[in-house]
Amino acid sequence: MRSLIRGGGSGGRDLRVDFFRGLALWFIFIDHVPGNVLGHLTLRNFALCDATEAFVLLAGYAAGLAYGGLLSRHGWGLAAAQLLRRAGTLYVAHIFLFVVFTAQVGLSAAALDAAAYLDELHLDAFGSEPYRALLEALLLRFQPAFLDILPLYIALLLLLVPALPLLRWPMLLAALSGLLYLAVRLTGTNLPTWTGGGWFFNPLAWQALFFIGCMLGFVPGGGRPAVPRHPALMALSVMVLLLGALALVAAFHRPELLDRVPERVAAVLVGVDKSGLHPFRLMSILALAYLLGHLVPIGAGWLQGVAAAPFVLMGQHGLPVFCSGIFLSFLGRLALELSDAWAMQVAVNALGLLALVGVGLVAAWYRLRSRGTPAPGGRGPGLPRTAASPTVSG
Amino acid sequence: MPVLRPVLILLAVLAAPAAAQTPEIACGAPAELLESEAPLPATEKAMQKGRLRILVAGSASVLGLGTSGPGKAWPAQLEALLEQRHPGLGVEVAVRGGRGLTATDTEALLLAEQQRNPAQLVLWQSGTVEAVRGLDLDQLTETLNRGVEQLRRASTDVMLLDPQFSRFLRANANVEPYRDAIWLVAAAHGISVLRRYELMRFWAETDRVDLERASREMRSVVADRLNACIAEALAALIRHGVAEAGAGR
Repeated sequence: MRSLIRGGGSGGRDLRVDFFRGLALWFIFIDHVPGNVLGHLTLRNFALCDATEAFVLLAGYAAGLAYGGLLSRHGWGLAAAQLLRRAGTLYVAHIFLFVVFTAQVGLSAAALDAAAYLDELHLDAFGSEPYRALLEALLLRFQPAFLDILPLYIALLLLLVPALPLLRWPMLLAALSGLLYLAVRLTGTNLPTWTGGGWFFNPLAWQALFFIGCMLGFVPGGGRPAVPRHPALMALSVMVLLLGALALVAAFHRPELLDRVPERVAAVLVGVDKSGLHPFRLMSILALAYLLGHLVPIGAGWLQGVAAAPFVLMGQHGLPVFCSGIFLSFLGRLALELSDAWAMQVAVNALGLLALVGVGLVAAWYRLRSRGTPAPGGRGPGLPRTAASPTVSG
Repeated sequence: MPVLRPVLILLAVLAAPAAAQTPEIACGAPAELLESEAPLPATEKAMQKGRLRILVAGSASVLGLGTSGPGKAWPAQLEALLEQRHPGLGVEVAVRGGRGLTATDTEALLLAEQQRNPAQLVLWQSGTVEAVRGLDLDQLTETLNRGVEQLRRASTDVMLLDPQFSRFLRANANVEPYRDAIWLVAAAHGISVLRRYELMRFWAETDRVDLERASREMRSVVADRLNACIAEALAALIRHGVAEAGAGR
């Protein structure tokens, strides 16, 4: 497996990014299987952010690295075309997953006790308006539960197409992205959905995190992004994360504590929304990234060890692993719907992780074979740094 | 989200044989799901006076459908239970709700009903329709906040109810954020939540009451029992809240 991992060592890619991306992908799989016992151990239980934020930040990083590199070498046209191709792939994957989801919900709904679960039957949108539901799904205006990250990813990549040249003027990009985020937070603007309300993940707000990732990943002259280590910022990050963890514990384990804080403070906590990427959530993920970036050394030995290898591999092939993860979580939900006893829990998690690593392995193998370079232990000197191949992570 | 819940449920399951000697309340539900420190002063006062009116509002599941008759729906069973436990107390449970109603719809219904004939205790169920249709979480939170505030300003007790559990719902809808929102609103206002989802999941997982797995001919029998269990759980929460209010006076 190690021979399939790109980079590592000095001057290669940042394995920390790959590792944490792999971890986030695994968490997304777990969090997408309600009833999974491991769901009590993922990031969302301890921080006011979860694997979605980590995934979007690191997806931005990968996009900045890949498409920023293309932009530098080949100009905007080619980079934009690649971005559109990637968005197209994701769209097709999303529609496929939508069809799978719809077929299963329809089948399950037919078996359900219609009288006692009247409201639940609404899940089967195809039951009442099949053609409309299909059209709305194609327009991304109908996003069933757990199929909401892919549309977000598609929208973010499309937003990056016009924003790509701005990577050369990061201050301008940061200002524009920040302004849009502020405007969205203040006005509550969101993309519309068929069922009313907006997208579960509002791309107009989430772009802020994505573009921060892009700016971190895009380093025109090569080398590494430099975010200076400052003791005050480190302390602030620790405080942000501690406060978030405390708030979560208070709200879910000791609600009587909330009783003692003024209702206004409690109301702020209640208002920490995920759809519009509440500033607390944004701060939490940035604090987490800042801390990990400075506390985990870039050449940490364990990153190249056996235990980290599966996650690094998954992270290096984010796109296929992510899409398979969404599909696998769907199978996991079906399995737990049948039985959520321990045996099934173990089976779902073991098989799920194995399959995810397997997808990473196949993607890495295919990438090597399709280039005809066995390249043991890392990126050969002649290989382009990034993204022109469809199997590259992004 | 909470880490403790599965542990507590597991402990409850392990402790079940030991607890078997004591009579089970609410179909053997774990005690932590039936306890509440939130006082119900208006309810307590009404019970002192001998007349208690409870208003139940929500989507289809408050109607107790699928049972063998209207008397078996949980609001009716709750009424019977309270009258039986408090001889001489006149209890009236009114129900306003219907299929596909969002919290915004039921807020309007219950506030109008409160104008007409005020109840001392409002049991407000929400979240199912929102989760199933993927509606705005913010809107649910805002509606609940506003409604709870208005009711409490009028010195009405409020208790929230979350969606009913089914493996179908868990597998196909993203219920968790909606349940969290209901839980957080209740915590922020210091009111209690009937954690129906947790309760029903516990009953299903321990094979006590499992409507989804019931055979077609047994369904209405199991639905009757489910509604009885929910009524008992509510009665337990109300008992705690009334005791808490009595102690606080």
